Amino acid sequence: MTFYEKELNRIRSIVYSNEGQINSVIGIRNYIENNYDADLNLDVLSHIQFISKYHLLRMFKKYYGQTPRQYLIDIRIEKSKEHLVNEMSVTETCFAVGFESLGSFSTLFKTKTGKSPTEFQKEQLSRS
Amino acid sequence: MKVTLISIPVRDQEKALSFYTEKLGFLKKKDLPLGGGNRWLTLVSAEWQDGPELLLEPAPVHFEPCRVFQDALMEAGYPYTQFDVQNVDAEYERLTKLDVEFSMKPTEMGTVKVAVFNDTCGNNIQLVEEL
Repeated sequence: MTFYEKELNRIRSIVYSNEGQINSVIGIRNYIENNYDADLNLDVLSHIQFISKYHLLRMFKKYYGQTPRQYLIDIRIEKSKEHLVNEMSVTETCFAVGFESLGSFSTLFKTKTGKSPTEFQKEQLSRS
Repeated sequence: MKVTLISIPVRDQEKALSFYTEKLGFLKKKDLPLGGGNRWLTLVSAEWQDGPELLLEPAPVHFEPCRVFQDALMEAGYPYTQFDVQNVDAEYERLTKLDVEFSMKPTEMGTVKVAVFNDTCGNNIQLVEEL
C-alpha cells in the first residue's frame, strides 16, 4: 500500500465514516442530476430522503462543498450550454433547464461563463 | 483573473504528447518552439475544448527541485493532479486495455470514486467520479 493510499484510508475514517449520511447525500445529488429541470427546492429535496431541510443543507455542504442550490445552478448552466450548442434558442434553453426567468438565466449564465447565452451560442456555432 | 492553464511536469514532452493524446484522449492546442528543443505545448479536453489548457512542461529536465519533488510524489503514490470522468470503472477498463498502469484501482471515497494511474512521464494522475 502506498503512502497516498494510507492517507486516503486515514481521511476516509475521519470524514466518510457515516455511511448512512453519505448514501443520503448521494441520493440527493442523483435526484438533482436527474431532475434539474424541475422546480427543486430544499422542501422537495428533504422529502426525498425524509430528513429536515436544515440537516440536508448541512450534510450536502459537508460532503459536496456547496449548497444544493449552488450545485443545481451549476448543472443547469452546463446543460444549457449543451442546448445552446445544439442550436436551441436562448428562451427555450432557459425554460428547458428549469429557470423561470430569462433575465436571471442570462445574468447567471454570464456570471458563470463570462459570456451571455447569445454570445456563447454565436461563438460556438461559428466554430462548427 | 481567470484560471486557464494547469501545468504538469513531464520528463519527455514528445512522449507525454503521445500518452496524453493517444491514450487519455486530449487534443493538442498550442505547440510553440522555445529553443533548446523545448516547447510550449498545451492540450485541452476533447469534451471541454474551451476549458483550461494542460501545459506539458519539461521542468524536471531543467530544474532539479522539480525533479526531486516529482520523484517524491511518485514514490509515495501521490497524484500530481486529477481529472474528472463520468465513470471511473469504465475509464479504468479502457485504459487498462491500453496498457496504462494503475497504482490504485477504482476505490470509493465517500461521495467520490477515485483511481490512480502512472502517466509514464513521471506523474501519478488521479481519475475522479462524483457519486
